[in-house]
Amino acid sequence: MAYDDLRGFLAALEEEGQLLRITDEVLPEPDLAAAANAAGRIGEGAPALWFDNVKGFTDARIAMNVHGSWANHALALGLPKDTPVKDQVETFAARWDAFPVAPERREDAPWRENTQQGDDIDLFSVLPLFRLNDGDGGFYLDKAAVVSRDPEDPDDFGKQNVGTYRLQVIGNNRLAMQPVPVHDVALHLRKAEERGEDLPIALTLGNDPVLTLVAGMPMAYDQSEYEMAGALRQAPAPIATAPLTGFDVPWGSEVVIEGVIESRKRQIEGPFGEFTGHYSGGRRMPVIRVDRVSYRTDPVFESLYLGMPWTEVDYLVGPNTCVPLLKQLRAEYPEVQAVNAMYTHGLLVIISTKKRYGGFAKAVGMRAMTTPHGLGYVSQVIVVDEDIDPFNLPQVMWAMSAKVNPKDDVVVLPNLSVVELAPAAQPAGLTSKMIIDATTPVGADARGNFSTPVQDLPEAEEWAARLRQLLAAQG
Amino acid sequence: MTLCPRCAHDVVGRLATSPVPGVWDVLQCRRCLYTWRTTEPARRTRRDAYPDVFKLTADDLAAAIEVPAVPPLRTTS
Repeated sequence: MAYDDLRGFLAALEEEGQLLRITDEVLPEPDLAAAANAAGRIGEGAPALWFDNVKGFTDARIAMNVHGSWANHALALGLPKDTPVKDQVETFAARWDAFPVAPERREDAPWRENTQQGDDIDLFSVLPLFRLNDGDGGFYLDKAAVVSRDPEDPDDFGKQNVGTYRLQVIGNNRLAMQPVPVHDVALHLRKAEERGEDLPIALTLGNDPVLTLVAGMPMAYDQSEYEMAGALRQAPAPIATAPLTGFDVPWGSEVVIEGVIESRKRQIEGPFGEFTGHYSGGRRMPVIRVDRVSYRTDPVFESLYLGMPWTEVDYLVGPNTCVPLLKQLRAEYPEVQAVNAMYTHGLLVIISTKKRYGGFAKAVGMRAMTTPHGLGYVSQVIVVDEDIDPFNLPQVMWAMSAKVNPKDDVVVLPNLSVVELAPAAQPAGLTSKMIIDATTPVGADARGNFSTPVQDLPEAEEWAARLRQLLAAQG
Repeated sequence: MTLCPRCAHDVVGRLATSPVPGVWDVLQCRRCLYTWRTTEPARRTRRDAYPDVFKLTADDLAAAIEVPAVPPLRTTS
């Protein structure tokens, strides 16, 4: 089941019991963010939250926590809501193989219904903006899919980027934006600024759930997010042409904001409570001037609470960080079995692999650090044997405790690149990185006493089935 | 006079007002761009209740680094 827009997905969530409507009047602050924060603290299966009775507003419609549980993540992919996490990641990886799926262009985009231009633009009149965390410098758009093109190759569909970046509303028609230097939009901006030109940009809000997943996915520079969305949703992604920039934007968006990043300008931004579980900001960031806003009648404002994990963002960028790393590693090392990169967008990664020869696991760890995403994230890698499930943390801890001789199995590499947001970096943007080789030594690596592992008894599997049957009969 | 809760600057503008008249305004410091709604808790709206850890000074603002740095202009020869 592919959803073409946010509204279709919200309806499906409601049908599945995964959308909770808050009908009592709430304050914009702190209630909206506190409720979404709390959704991550009430256990498994948290629902999306819907608010339409917000003090001081006459027609606010706000959706939060839309991707904020494994149940909702499964439904976003069209899977049953009780699909186990590992199966969701494997389905994600299997569908990836259909990439690229050409998008479907439609010209009747519902966001064409209403327009603001020039001096009439007032983002506050279109969006019920609000603050998330106490220390945030202001009100943010933190779940937009941002579209930009390579100024040196503007007709290349693959190099057109769709990504999620934090955007602080700093005026009725102005936003400050954080382009993380390792991300594609920063490459586009650098090229434009080297030429002294503004960078045209389109911010799309309130999108179908798979497009949002893809916008947060680390992909190769020339891979199209729309073609990946088509593969993951098993149907072409519907796109339309944005009226001012001519960019390809989602057909189903609630709001499409177009303008430019003003060349060579920076303005104070933040702080903002980030996916790292820490605030970052108080830095001077690029500024967007909005020139046109297109929006549906009665638009839905989708926002995301983030803070100390786990919150919605951890579900949103969990599987979609695992799968690109898995694919990129397997392309060179088919021995790689599975990758768990769900911790802080892959600052820490657990990889299970077969060993080609002694020292191989460390090579896999180093390669993870040099993937496109690894350059800015992967700071700690734990490598485990092929019979360890990297999503099963007790198994991983067993491997760490039993297989690691720290003197030779822990490698620390100084002064490597990392996103400036990484709280442990010193200075910002630079960190040491670590590989923990928790695999069993093989080949020339003859260290340790691993020749006689205790393996599950051959009959244990049959007994497991028998125990389950007996339990079921008893209960 | 309204002071910015974060940097104590005394020039504060209004970005928005509530669609239901008289419920709240969204204010913004013209120096540090801190933005707040008048109905938010005191810890976000009042200088004397604003957490020290988030306060900014004129020196902090002057010392804020650029991210990403503005690159050199490419010259064509």
